[in-house]
Amino acid sequence: MIAKYLLISFALLYQIIVAGDPTDSAASSDNDSHKSLIFEDSLFDALFEPQNHMYNPPWLDAFTVRITHQLFGQINNHAIGLPTGRRYQKKSMIEHNRTGLNIRYSNAFAPNWLLQGSWQARVFWNQDYEYDANKKNIDTEYRINELFLQRTLGRHSLKFGRQTLVWGETVGNSVLDVINHTEYRDFSIIDIEDARLNQWMLVWDFFNNQSQLSGFLNLYPEFNPSPVEGSPLYFALPINLRYTHRNSNPIFEAGARWSKSYEKSDIAFMGAYLWENQLQYRSPTEELMESSGIKNDFYLLGFSTNYALDRILLTLDISLNRGVFPDRSFFVITPLENTVNIKKDQVGISFGFEYGISATQDLSLSAKMEKILDEGDGLHANQALIKRGIEGTWLLRYSSRPLDRNTTFSGTLQGDLDGNAMVVSLRSNYAFSDQIEIGCHVLYIAANNDSRMALFDGDLRLGASITYYF
Amino acid sequence: MIAAIKILTAVVTAFLMSMSFSEEQTGQDIMNAVERMLRSSNDSSFAQIKLSSCRFGVTAGRITCAEKPRVKILETVTMNLGVDNKDTKSISITREPASERGVGMLNYTYYQTDRENQTWLYLSALGRVKRIATGASDDYGEPASIFGSEFTTEDVNYGNIEDYQINILSQTIQDGRNAWQLEAIPVTKKAKRSRYARTVYFVDKERYVSLRSEMYDKYGKQLKRSISSRVEMMNGHWVARSVTMFNLVSNRLSNMAMVDLHAGLSVNEDFLTQRSLIDSAYRETVLNQLRSQTK
Repeated sequence: MIAKYLLISFALLYQIIVAGDPTDSAASSDNDSHKSLIFEDSLFDALFEPQNHMYNPPWLDAFTVRITHQLFGQINNHAIGLPTGRRYQKKSMIEHNRTGLNIRYSNAFAPNWLLQGSWQARVFWNQDYEYDANKKNIDTEYRINELFLQRTLGRHSLKFGRQTLVWGETVGNSVLDVINHTEYRDFSIIDIEDARLNQWMLVWDFFNNQSQLSGFLNLYPEFNPSPVEGSPLYFALPINLRYTHRNSNPIFEAGARWSKSYEKSDIAFMGAYLWENQLQYRSPTEELMESSGIKNDFYLLGFSTNYALDRILLTLDISLNRGVFPDRSFFVITPLENTVNIKKDQVGISFGFEYGISATQDLSLSAKMEKILDEGDGLHANQALIKRGIEGTWLLRYSSRPLDRNTTFSGTLQGDLDGNAMVVSLRSNYAFSDQIEIGCHVLYIAANNDSRMALFDGDLRLGASITYYF
Repeated sequence: MIAAIKILTAVVTAFLMSMSFSEEQTGQDIMNAVERMLRSSNDSSFAQIKLSSCRFGVTAGRITCAEKPRVKILETVTMNLGVDNKDTKSISITREPASERGVGMLNYTYYQTDRENQTWLYLSALGRVKRIATGASDDYGEPASIFGSEFTTEDVNYGNIEDYQINILSQTIQDGRNAWQLEAIPVTKKAKRSRYARTVYFVDKERYVSLRSEMYDKYGKQLKRSISSRVEMMNGHWVARSVTMFNLVSNRLSNMAMVDLHAGLSVNEDFLTQRSLIDSAYRETVLNQLRSQTK
C-alpha cells in the first residue's frame, strides 16, 4: 500500500518533469540547421540594467532559507531469520512524514567581523515515527546548529561559538574525523557530513601564505546522542541510558593542527586531547536500572595528506589514539563482570581514491581500518572483546550531473570490511528552478547475522522530497 | 580624466598593434594579441559576473531560451603572475542562487605545459577546503565546466598559443566589423587532447577581440559556438561584456555577462590563497576594500 502510494507520487513527479519539457523539435535537429538561425543577445539585456546590478538588500542577502517536506518509508514486507531460529516479521511503513525549515545567517557586519548561524525546526506529521512516539500527536523540534562570532586580526582569526571542526582528507571515511560528535537518527542520514553535530568551541587560526596553524578549545564536549524513541535505530531497553553527570567533573578538549600546501599536495600534522564521542554503558545494578555513560579521555596524534595526479586525487589519513576503550559500540551494553576497563592504544588508517571521470561525473573509493594494539593483554579469563582484529569500513561514491544540468544523481555503497553488511543508497534530484527542487532516495540494506545491522537485512526504503530555497 | 587617459591608451595600443601587424600579420601574431588583450583586461581585477544558462529552442527562426534561465551571480578576483604575467590566480565566490551561496573556488592556472593547474573548493557542509584534481586545463578530453555552465576552462582561457597552428582563412565582415577569420588546429601532444579538433575565430581587426568562435570535433561536426557582444572599453581594454556559448550537442546555452569589471586594482597576492575560502570575515573585508577601489 505504502509502496503504491510512493510509486504514484514518483509517477506524478515524473509526469510533471516530462510535461514541463517544451523542447522545440527544431532545436534538437542536426546542428547544421543552427547556421541559418539568428541569435539576438538582447535576451540578456536585463542583466545589464542598473536595478539588476545589485544583489538583494544586505540584510536579506545574509539569510538563506530552505524548506523541505520529506516522505520516507520501508516498503519491503519480509521476514528476517534470527540466530535463535525464529523469524522477525517486518512490514512496510512510513517512517518520515515531516517538514523541515533551515535558516542560515552569515553576515560580515563590520570590517574583520563575521556572525554566522544556522537554525532548524521540524514538524512531524501523521505516520512519522516521532508522531507515533508522541502518542499520535503532531510533534515539533527546534535546534541551533551553528552559531559563532569571528574576528580577524591580521594573519590571525578567532572564532567562538557552536561550530564544526573536520580533520582528515578522506571525505566521509576518515579516522581523524573524531572531534565533533554525530547523530545517526535514522536511515535518511547516510553521510557523515549530515550526521555531524556542532559543539561550543574557541578556534584560532594563523595563516601564512600556503600554510596554516590552528588550535581549538572545547570546554563542553558533547557525546553521540542515543537514538530517538520510535526511530528504526531505537531499541526498547530494560534500562535507562543516562548521560554522565558533568558538574562534579568538568571536562574539556583541546588540540592543534599545522598544514601546508604544495603544488600537487597538502599535508597536515595534528595532536589533540579528546573524549570519546560514543559513550560506553555497563549493565546497572538491579536497584537503579539506570546506566550512566562512562566518559573516556584519550590522546590523538595524526597525519593527513593528499596528492593530485591529473584527474586523480589520492588521500591518506593516519591516526594513533592513546588510551581508548577496546569495546565501543552503539548497540552494546556490557555486563559488569565482563567489562573491559583497560585502556588500549589504537592505530587507524584511511586511504582514498577520487577520480574526476569527466566534467560532470566523479567517482571515489575509500577504506578505513582501525586496530587495537595488544588487544588480548590484561584481559581476565571471563573477559572477551566483542570485536577483535582489524575493524573498518569501505565507501564507494559516484555522482553525476547529466547534460541537462538540472538533474543530479549520486550513488553510495558502504559496508564493513568483513563483508557482513552493505548499504546501497541512490539519490536523484531535479531542479525546476534555482528555488524548487524535488528528490528521490532509494536505500537497500543487506546484512548477515554477524553484523550489528542484522535486523535491517532486506530492508528497502524509498523516499521523496520537495525543497524550496530562497 | 582618468577614463579619458585609459581610452586614449587603448586606442594608441590598438593603433600600434595594427601598425606593427600591418605588414606581416600571421595567425599566431593575431591570436597572441587577442590573448594579451584578454589577459591585460583582467589583471588584478575584480569582476561581478552573471552566468545564465538555459535550454534553447527556436521561435520564428530565432534562438531563444526555451525555459526560464538559471542565473548565478559570482564575484571574481583575478591576478596574473609568473613569467610575462602568463600564470593566473583567481578566486570566485557564488552570491546567488541561495542554494549555492558562499560556495568558493580557488584556481591557480599555469601557462607552462608541464605544470598542473591547482583547484580548491570550499565545502560549506564540512566548513573546510578540499583540493580538486583537475589536471592540466587542456589535458584528458573534457575540461571542467565553470560553475555548471556550458563554459569550460578551455573556453575562457586560450592557453598556450604555441600549441596551435593558426591559419588566416579570410578577411570578412562580422557583426558589421572588419574581422579576420582564423582557424586554430592543435599540433602539440597536449593540445591534441583538447575536446576541439579545430576552432574557427572571427577576430575584430581593430579591437583584437574574438567576436565569434566555432568549435568542431575531429569529424568536422560543430560542437559549440560562442558569440560575443557589447564590446566596450573597460578600464583601458576592449572587453566583450556579453559572451554566449551554445552547446549544439545538448542544446543548452550559457551567457556570461560581465556586469562590472575593474582591472589594475591593488590586490594583495595573500588574498588569492585558501584563507579567503575559509576565513569569511577576512574575505568579505578585502572584497569590500576592492569594491571601494572601484568607486
